[in-house]
Amino acid sequence: MTDRRFLLLCAGEVLVVAVGNLLAALVIQILVLAAFLDDRRSYPVLIAAVALYAATVAILGHVLLSLIVLAVILICGYAVLTLHDYRLTQWAGGSA
Amino acid sequence: MMRPTRTTGGVAALALVLTALAIIIESSAAVIAAGSLTIFLLWRAGRFSRDFYALAASLTVSRDVDRTILRQGAEAHVRVRVDLALPPGMEVRVRDILPAVAVGTAPLVESGESATYTIRIMAPGRTAFGGVVLSARDTYFSYDLRIRHFNKPDLRAFPVRGTESGGGREGSGMQEFEVDKRATLEGPAVRGFRLYRLGDDPRLIDWKISAKHNVFYVRELTGLEGGTPLIVVDLPIREGDDHEAFTRYSMIIADAIERAIEARTGCSLLVLAGGEVTRFLSGTSDLGEAFAALGGLAPVESRAPLYRAPGSAILSMRARLPVGRDGPERAYRAKLGRVLANFVRESRSPFGDAVAAALARVEATEVHLYTLARGDSSHLTQVIHQAKARGMRVVAKMPRGAPIPPGVDAMEAI
Repeated sequence: MTDRRFLLLCAGEVLVVAVGNLLAALVIQILVLAAFLDDRRSYPVLIAAVALYAATVAILGHVLLSLIVLAVILICGYAVLTLHDYRLTQWAGGSA
Repeated sequence: MMRPTRTTGGVAALALVLTALAIIIESSAAVIAAGSLTIFLLWRAGRFSRDFYALAASLTVSRDVDRTILRQGAEAHVRVRVDLALPPGMEVRVRDILPAVAVGTAPLVESGESATYTIRIMAPGRTAFGGVVLSARDTYFSYDLRIRHFNKPDLRAFPVRGTESGGGREGSGMQEFEVDKRATLEGPAVRGFRLYRLGDDPRLIDWKISAKHNVFYVRELTGLEGGTPLIVVDLPIREGDDHEAFTRYSMIIADAIERAIEARTGCSLLVLAGGEVTRFLSGTSDLGEAFAALGGLAPVESRAPLYRAPGSAILSMRARLPVGRDGPERAYRAKLGRVLANFVRESRSPFGDAVAAALARVEATEVHLYTLARGDSSHLTQVIHQAKARGMRVVAKMPRGAPIPPGVDAMEAI
């Protein structure tokens, strides 16, 4: 990714924050990320996950609670990746 | 462990900024932006992890070593080929992990490519490769995985005859080991073993090792692989009446030539007297011709001393640009290289040219340099560096305790 594309991503995020409306923010966010990617294999999975999180934010209606949910998602994701990494290392019979 | 790239760091920093902004301005849109980027990174990590697993599962490594049973310190040439199913957007490289007791540098190999490199097994006993390191990276993550499955073939090194002295010049990069005189006079030593090929001389089959491994192994003799050896004879300068030493020296050389010719297809002969080539015989298998070239040799007065002149091979080595360095040293080296190049063009060395022409004519991979190591050794230094520049292995055969010229691969006492 070039620096220019990263700057475009930053500009897109500013637009997402500025738009205010949750649904519009979700649509713009999905478009920005799509423009940001070269390889869009399994991109629908990402759209579904982001939409699910947006629905959670809308239901909770509270910023801090939404961020706590995000932290839980992050910890769970990290744990899954670490487990996968451990299994891969075991399979290879060595250390990473 | 998976490592994030600079891009991932940037996206994570952006997500953190948006999180802080969401808390400050209490904006749900900012929460969605921060959450989307976090989920995006997790998604990319998951995809990279899945792709990498598929990549590792598809990896096949075929490794061939020209000899699997070899002498301690001897070279083995390794050819490795890597094949894998490359996922889109991923850069992949594979590097061999050398046996723990081997020295050498394994190159990075890309998918579908082959690479050849050289290792030396420095300790006797059984050993094996440590596997490979699979390195992959995409825009967001990178991963280096050590895979130990690909550790074939097993190698076996047997100890060198004689004792390793380790008394060479420090930092000269030489490997010195002494061989007792009796062993030296026994003829070519066994450098290693390889599998029997159709047409090999049955007398070269090593029955003991063949019986142990249930497959025929043949002995490979030092100096006889890849063509005939080049025997370089350095005539000593005349000082005093040391006829006995010179007679013994002549007998050792005659014996070496006789054995080289009898053992295979012949040898080449280059006779030096200081900075002068006096005789040269290329690839002869005629013993009489070789002895005729040696006939009448005696210690000489040096007519063309080189006075420590380094020769073009060493000059070009000094002027070579260091890889990856930058700054004033690189500029200095570049300038030095231009000066030396002009100097070499303007001032040719007849001795250097004669040696280079002789080396170009012989099909040898090994140079046996016989010398009594008396007086100035500049001419030997030039010969050694010319040979090294052509990828030849140089074995110096000289009296025990004599100063060893730089660049020699091995020294044997005579």
